[in-house]
Amino acid sequence: MARTPRTDLLQGTLDLLILKTLALGPQHGWGISQRILQISEDVLRVNQGSLYPALHRLEEQGWIAAEWGVSDNNREAKFYRLTRAGQRQLHVETQQWARITSAVARVLDAEFQEE
Amino acid sequence: MLGRIIRRLRTLAGAGRVDEEIARELDFHVRMEIERRERAGMTPADARRTALRDFGGVGRVREEIRDTRGMTFLDSVRQDVRFGARTLRLSPGYTSAAVLILALGIGANTAIFSVVNGVLLEPLPFRSGEELVLVQHSALKSNRPNAGVSIQEFGDYRARLQSIRDLVEYHSMSFTLLSQGEPDRVDTGVVSANFFDMLGIRPAVGRSFIDADDDLGAEPVLILSHAYWQQKFGGDPAIVGRALEMNDKLHTVVGVLPAFPQYPRENDVYMPTSACPFRASAEAEPQQGHRSFAGLRVFGRLAPGASAERASAEVAPVVRSFEADHPQAHERTRSLGFAGEVVPLGEQLVTGARSALFVLVAVTLLVLVIACANVANLSLARTIRRGRELALRTALGASRTRLVRQLLTESMMLAAAGGALGVALAWLSLDLLVGFVSRFTPRTGQVDIDFGVLVFAATASLATGVVFGVAPALVARRDLTRGIRDGGGQPGGVSAKHRVRSGLVVAQIAVSFALVVGAALLLESFYHRVTTPLGFETEKVMTAAVFGNFTTQATPADSQRFESQVLAALRSSPGVRAAALTNAVPQSAIVPGNLPVRLEGFDDGSGREYQADRNVASDQYFETLGVPLLAGRDFRPGDTPEAPPVAIINQSMAKLWNGADPIGRRFTVTDFDGERTFTVVGVAADYRLYNVDQEMIAQYYRAVSQAPGAGSRVLARTDGDPLDLMPIIKAAVHGADPKTPVEELATIAQVRGSALLATPGLTAALLGVFALVALVITLAGIGGVIGTTVSQRTREFGLRMALGASRGAVLRQVLRQGIVLVAVGVSLGLAAALAFGQVIAGQLFGTTVTDPSAYLSVALIFLGAALLAALGPARRATAIDPLMALKVE
Repeated sequence: MARTPRTDLLQGTLDLLILKTLALGPQHGWGISQRILQISEDVLRVNQGSLYPALHRLEEQGWIAAEWGVSDNNREAKFYRLTRAGQRQLHVETQQWARITSAVARVLDAEFQEE
Repeated sequence: MLGRIIRRLRTLAGAGRVDEEIARELDFHVRMEIERRERAGMTPADARRTALRDFGGVGRVREEIRDTRGMTFLDSVRQDVRFGARTLRLSPGYTSAAVLILALGIGANTAIFSVVNGVLLEPLPFRSGEELVLVQHSALKSNRPNAGVSIQEFGDYRARLQSIRDLVEYHSMSFTLLSQGEPDRVDTGVVSANFFDMLGIRPAVGRSFIDADDDLGAEPVLILSHAYWQQKFGGDPAIVGRALEMNDKLHTVVGVLPAFPQYPRENDVYMPTSACPFRASAEAEPQQGHRSFAGLRVFGRLAPGASAERASAEVAPVVRSFEADHPQAHERTRSLGFAGEVVPLGEQLVTGARSALFVLVAVTLLVLVIACANVANLSLARTIRRGRELALRTALGASRTRLVRQLLTESMMLAAAGGALGVALAWLSLDLLVGFVSRFTPRTGQVDIDFGVLVFAATASLATGVVFGVAPALVARRDLTRGIRDGGGQPGGVSAKHRVRSGLVVAQIAVSFALVVGAALLLESFYHRVTTPLGFETEKVMTAAVFGNFTTQATPADSQRFESQVLAALRSSPGVRAAALTNAVPQSAIVPGNLPVRLEGFDDGSGREYQADRNVASDQYFETLGVPLLAGRDFRPGDTPEAPPVAIINQSMAKLWNGADPIGRRFTVTDFDGERTFTVVGVAADYRLYNVDQEMIAQYYRAVSQAPGAGSRVLARTDGDPLDLMPIIKAAVHGADPKTPVEELATIAQVRGSALLATPGLTAALLGVFALVALVITLAGIGGVIGTTVSQRTREFGLRMALGASRGAVLRQVLRQGIVLVAVGVSLGLAAALAFGQVIAGQLFGTTVTDPSAYLSVALIFLGAALLAALGPARRATAIDPLMALKVE
């Protein structure tokens, strides 16, 4: 853990990541964290202490739904999947994210030019 | 949205299951992580250790999930309850006092509610009970609210009324039934064949009556009540088809009723109209007139869409037409002013109970108010004492809302415990109450602590908990922030809180003052009822009911022979000083109703119509009772049915002649059976025949010897033990006719005690108990408030004594506080007592609602009791050591 610099996620970013991951298909909590880690090439390490409350919060909001199923290694696991409301939310948040990152990038660019 | 609500409710309801699911989910995560690390080459032990470490505490994650899932409310409630239970256990004195006081308040209300519920609120236990109505006849001019319906009138109603269907008749009789040798007097309901069908009652065994059973000359049949069947025949189903002897005829049992409350009264057996010998003989001789056998009650069911008012409007012209259509039958009675109306059966059955229940409801509600105020006071004092604890918890981060909720939770727990204990108390006292209320209404069969009553008790407890919990919670909320700054022992606003507590005590004093005054007035009335002279002998006179056996006494001559034999046998028995027959047993609450009277040759020109009560008595009646004959003579053997009718009148009636000597004068009375003119032969002193609180009214007595069969009560007087008269009376009656049962043997004092004193006595006792409870609770409240003041002012008292104030001065100051509380409370209580007095005004006797002596003595009791309650804390105040007091804080 100490070897990889830890990147704290902005509030709301984790939700976006979870929704995006689940857009690829149903997954259990551990799987979600692994997939985010893989795709981000070991940069985004999701803290379990944030992951599970977030999952339950998203379920509460109706963006994802949960049901118990069997994992690849034959264990009982709780699988989450995206709901239609979740797909819409993913779309909204993705656009928002793009707006924010491009805005942040513009700000950084400007700073660089002045120097 | 709906899905979310459902999910949230499910979370709240199944918090345990959800907890377990979270645990399973997190457990899965940790296992996967361990496996991943093992695959990466760690030893199983290392994998496990690092996985758990990196996960960072399953408990904390679970807490966070819970917070997002809205479980906090229920969890914190559970936490509040646990904490509340702990703190309540730590102050057992407060807890048990509060629970006990609340149990008294809630229990009294629950018991009364169960009675109100069973008697007034629950529908009649018949099919569509709200449709059932009673057709009532009254004879306005003879002051008879219920004049009964005759056989012919019933027939007219059946033929003519559109708005009432399924009309049935009912009258009750008492017959002797011979089943297994032993003669048994049975209460018998005589009913139309469709009576049970109309009510929707199916027999438990056998069949109901059928139309053919009603035909004159039909084979007599019986239906047994469930209780009688169980009691006499052990519930043997083979009873159906058996023949029982009754009225010298064999009656076949055709059915048994289900175990069910019966109305209008609990009978042992039922028979169709044709089987009642009296009714049958009246019906067989229609020439007896249109008003023959006018003792029927008529019930029916409102036709769809009809109301009792509309049915009444339909009945009125029918009643008027009786007199027009049958002028001969009504020739002699038309002046009685018949009228008819239709009333809902449910209402009619409970009219007597309404006022008694109203008093009880009012009283118990007041007791609950006092209980609430008192417990509010107790818990307020406790909150003040807990100021430091509450302030500390605020400082440690508990929100004020949360603390207030904690206090309310404790109140609710107390109320729940009080409610549970109260239901137990109610259950214990129910029999007493039902016995009391059954004096006013036959509708006590459905009184029970059922689900509805439990809901009431739960609601009452909940409301109580909120009411007495709110005051301390509000005080706490206001004080919490200040508390810790002040050191917490006595948080700010002491005087404001003290005002709240004094206000609560004053309210308790006012309400309980009203209750105690009410109880005092009722007790005083009861005392007057017991001690007011009745004007006759009650201890030495034995009475008995002798309803002649009509098969052996079929004719007036038989009755006359029986009566003279009984009297002769009694009078020749040793120890009997005098004996008589009458219809009028003193104090038995049988009021015969008064009749219009014309005084012959004595028209004062005012056109006023006089009224007098009709009674029947034999010779020696007045001697037996010790009522002096003021003028004229007693009845004598020469007063035979063939001789001109004679009467003895009382003093009040003698006054109708305006001072002239009434002896030898004649008066004419109109009754159902026509006009009769009497010659006055004697004047007896006035005495309280019916009831101790009756007015003295005009009365006359016919001679039993001129009205055979009308005097069915035996009176016998002895100089010795009246109990010795019991075998003598039985022997005298059975000597004259062995088939006549002797019933209701009792001295007049006993009759008076059971019939008339029991109700006011029980009312006074009930109110007295409630008033005593209220007084004790209130006194505890006074003591509590003063006690708190003393402990709050310990330093002040110490300081003043150190500065030279005498102990007497301190004592006086504390006592003065008690006196002020009582003075304010009592003066408010005066108004409350006057208002409450209106509720019980109808039950007072020999005193009035505004009787100053009652108010004064109760006020003195309160003052004395308050001083006593204040004395404990006051002595504590004077025992303060000035030095210690100054060091205390």
